[in-house]
Amino acid sequence: MLKAVIKRSLPGFDLNVDFSVNRELLAVLGPSGSGKTMTLQCIAGLTKPDEGRIELNGKVLYDSEAGINLPPQKRKVGFVFQNYALFPHMTVMENVAYSIRHLPVNEVNLKVERLMNIMNIIPLTDRYPRQLSAGQQQRVAIARALAPDPEVLLLDEPFSALDSQLKERLELELLALQTEYHGSMILVTHDLAEGYKLGSQIAIYQAGRIAQCDTRHKVFASPVNRTVARLTGVRNLMDGIVTRLDGPFAWINIVAWDVPLKALSSPDAGLVPGQKVTVGIRPEYVDLKQAEGENVFPSRILQAVEGISSVTYRFHVQSDQQAKHYINATISKSNALCFEDGQTCLLHFPPENLIVIPAANG
Amino acid sequence: MTDLYLAPLWISLRTVLVATFVTFFVGIAAARWMARYSGRLKSVIDGLFIMPMVLPPTVVGYGLLLLFGKNGPLGKMLLHFGTTIVFSWWATVIAAVVMAFPLMYITARGAFEQVEPNIQDAARTLGASEWRVFWTVTLPLAWPGVAAGTVLALARSLGEFGATLMLAGNIPGRTATIPVAIYFDIQAGEKSQALVLVGIVLVISFAALAAIAYWKGRTPRSKGFLIT
Repeated sequence: MLKAVIKRSLPGFDLNVDFSVNRELLAVLGPSGSGKTMTLQCIAGLTKPDEGRIELNGKVLYDSEAGINLPPQKRKVGFVFQNYALFPHMTVMENVAYSIRHLPVNEVNLKVERLMNIMNIIPLTDRYPRQLSAGQQQRVAIARALAPDPEVLLLDEPFSALDSQLKERLELELLALQTEYHGSMILVTHDLAEGYKLGSQIAIYQAGRIAQCDTRHKVFASPVNRTVARLTGVRNLMDGIVTRLDGPFAWINIVAWDVPLKALSSPDAGLVPGQKVTVGIRPEYVDLKQAEGENVFPSRILQAVEGISSVTYRFHVQSDQQAKHYINATISKSNALCFEDGQTCLLHFPPENLIVIPAANG
Repeated sequence: MTDLYLAPLWISLRTVLVATFVTFFVGIAAARWMARYSGRLKSVIDGLFIMPMVLPPTVVGYGLLLLFGKNGPLGKMLLHFGTTIVFSWWATVIAAVVMAFPLMYITARGAFEQVEPNIQDAARTLGASEWRVFWTVTLPLAWPGVAAGTVLALARSLGEFGATLMLAGNIPGRTATIPVAIYFDIQAGEKSQALVLVGIVLVISFAALAAIAYWKGRTPRSKGFLIT
């Protein structure tokens, strides 16, 4: 288990985070410049925090109060760099074996072969990094990082330089790797879908702070505040006031529209009538109805952007007199209803897909 | 007399070999240290290291004379051990090292700073000691620059004249290196003898250039192929 409390100040930037990871994959999500990479560097010992404490499986790696700061060599932390940072003057085999040269030759060979087998790079043994594709380089980088049996594996945006097909394949391989590698993993990414697919836990970074750190379901189903909601892809966010509670449902008056919206809210949300809240819904969950009904609102299409299998619309709900909120909706093409700009149709907000965030949380 | 005729060649060869050997290691050590050092005195030390390159060689030679002379701090120390450097063969080496050092230092330092920090950090996270990182990663990747610096240092020490003359003088058979001997041969009107030495220098220089070209052609990887 990795426990980290890291504080580090730079001119114009302040990193202050506190989290822990068990033997699982923690995906660190956040915009660029939010301190994700710096966190990894602090854990690996490549950057010294100003204050804090980092502990890995009971071993203290860094403690500002006790004056402990182990060098990267002594930390047993594997690091996969964004650009892979392979040794360009060494073959794939030499790269992977670099950290275990002190072992007997046959042991080195066995270990390297096993790792290269896991990462599917046996045929590349004698090649140099410049003779490899980006995807192959990444596999070598992971194999190399795993060779000294690190207790935690840090991956710094490992998929950002890859095309989407290759990326999907390597994501699957990383998922499969979790059956072979039993340490903790931290994956830094700015790709939501990637973080959700790979991370059992997710930490949302925002300007050097962790806005939320929880299981992926929790983070995506109930973001603690507007920022997390926006960062996790909830593109429609509206101010509202709870008017009444009805069993598991809450009726929320959307301020800009002056219409009530019915939302399923978890009992531990502890909503009370009169409370200010933010209501959110992902574009994928907004759908279209043929007839009027609960949570159905006539809306006008402002813009339609056609994708491969779906169309992303921007709607303007008619009762929104001051045009305060646009509604983004991604609607599958198989849903035979197709519209053009300016047309009016009926938008439906399924109550079970609405996210209600108490306004006190920002 | 025939011994003295070719003596400058042997003196120069010995001086160049020893001076390049010393400059190579001292230059690399200084370059590595400065590439990592980030103290307040960085620019001062850097300027001091480069100084011999911008000063006239005779000025450097005079400085060395003050340092190693009978009343100089280092000269006194050596006298204490019953020896003196001034006007000895070692003086040619010292003059050559001091004059060639900045070239080795600047080139090697630039080469070390060009090595991608991530690659060296990767080696550190893989458990390699700083010493091992340097010998297995930094130096091999900086090798083209280091080699270029060595060639420059070698050429500089072969051509060293001003500082050598000040510190080592012109003692035939002991301190008269090729450049010094050529000058004094011309002064003495011995043009043919000077011509022989000029020819020898030309042959050595061409041979060195040819060797470098051959070596470069054979190792295309030596160009420093950092992945980005």
